[in-house]
Amino acid sequence: MNPMIYLMIFTFVFGQVFSEIDRYPLYALTGLVFWIYFSTTTIQVIESIINSSGVLKSINVPTIAFPLAAQLASLISLLLSLIPFFILMLMFGLKLGWESLFFFPVVILFSCFTFGVSIILTSFNVYFRDVQMAWSSFMPAIFYSTPIAYTSSLIPEKFLWVIKLNPLYHYIGALREILYYNQIPSLGTFLLIGGIGIVTLLVGILIFTRLERGFVSQY
Amino acid sequence: MTHNKEIAIEARGLSVSFLIQRHGINNIKDFIITMGVKSPFEKKLVLKNLDLTIYKGECVGVMGRNGCGKSTLLRTIAGVMKPDSGTLKVYGNVAPLMALGVGLEPELSGMENIKLVSTLMGLSKKELKNSLESIIDFSELTTDEIDMQTKRYSSGMMARLAFSIAVATEHEILIIDEALAVGDLGFRKKCAKRINEIKNSGSTIIYVSHHLEEIKNICTRAIFMEDGKITLEGDVLSVCNYYEQHLKPKVAPPIVTTH
Repeated sequence: MNPMIYLMIFTFVFGQVFSEIDRYPLYALTGLVFWIYFSTTTIQVIESIINSSGVLKSINVPTIAFPLAAQLASLISLLLSLIPFFILMLMFGLKLGWESLFFFPVVILFSCFTFGVSIILTSFNVYFRDVQMAWSSFMPAIFYSTPIAYTSSLIPEKFLWVIKLNPLYHYIGALREILYYNQIPSLGTFLLIGGIGIVTLLVGILIFTRLERGFVSQY
Repeated sequence: MTHNKEIAIEARGLSVSFLIQRHGINNIKDFIITMGVKSPFEKKLVLKNLDLTIYKGECVGVMGRNGCGKSTLLRTIAGVMKPDSGTLKVYGNVAPLMALGVGLEPELSGMENIKLVSTLMGLSKKELKNSLESIIDFSELTTDEIDMQTKRYSSGMMARLAFSIAVATEHEILIIDEALAVGDLGFRKKCAKRINEIKNSGSTIIYVSHHLEEIKNICTRAIFMEDGKITLEGDVLSVCNYYEQHLKPKVAPPIVTTH
């Protein structure tokens, strides 16, 4: 539902502004769906531990199970929501080909990245409950600084490196390459997004296990 | 006399700490501002060099002033908190009954909650299937009530459900933390009966309560904790007497008004 509202806003408002982008609704949708996956997942995972604090302080269950469950639930709902979105994308001129199958490994790597970011935030959120609020207010800033509703060609050459520091740019870019441009991302892109995904996940797990000991004092 | 028995829980020099906040830094903004100057958390030792041996089949009552570390001891035994130093050996699986209603999801039905909480307690699918009927039987909830969302339960019904889940399956060690003071009289009697059954089946029970009568009825041995240490350990009656004397309210001196 959320993507639909976003989509309406973006097609009507930005469709005029970015009229040079071919098939703009499809362009926006291929970015928006995954942005919303990222934002809802992080917010749901952040809350997962403190929402289950009652269980965690009296029953010996692995703490990681709660964020992991939230992440998996979010991934499943993404995959389900893709059915109506694919229909919509086909209406907007999506061409499915065998290269579309590359979409799945990218989503898996994207999920690794998302989960890594989420558990770092979750771990800190157990200690400082306002991390959650800081993150939600930070969210629009990330949204507008990532080429989701616009193309990176609109950004002046000299600022392009700033955009490239943003990991989301590479994930959205790869997904869009597959779904919008019908191209297979290069090996370099795969190595890059794979590397970012796995490193973020490992750092996340490391921070989580370091901070996990003190969680019980904070519930 | 207990020395030839098998050990269920053995703690040697057990120390457990808790993080407490100093300087009132409880949000990320303050933390960033004061970064490196003050550490936001400090360790507070809750259990100090504690020695405890509990034998299989015993029912041990734990008493003590609020905040003396009773719950921390139970959480450490349940594996929720990790010891800082010392050793803790627990032989057998632990069913913690720290607070009633833990893990119950208000949006799910009673049946779904039984499955959820049992899984959290570490039951396998097969064990769950076997104990499902006895849980429902024990709770005395009707079929209608079991299929109802638990948010529509009365608090007594909730307690019945929670207690039934916790005690229906055979666990080697059962931890009860002031959880029994719920339900109507009939159910409480049933709980007490069930606890006796569990005791007779050879399970170990650790029972925390401030009700001296309950401790006297159920327990075979009692310990008294003060400030993270066990100060008295022995038969139920003497510990209860000690407790009564120790926590007697201090009588305020009479106010004398003079003209």
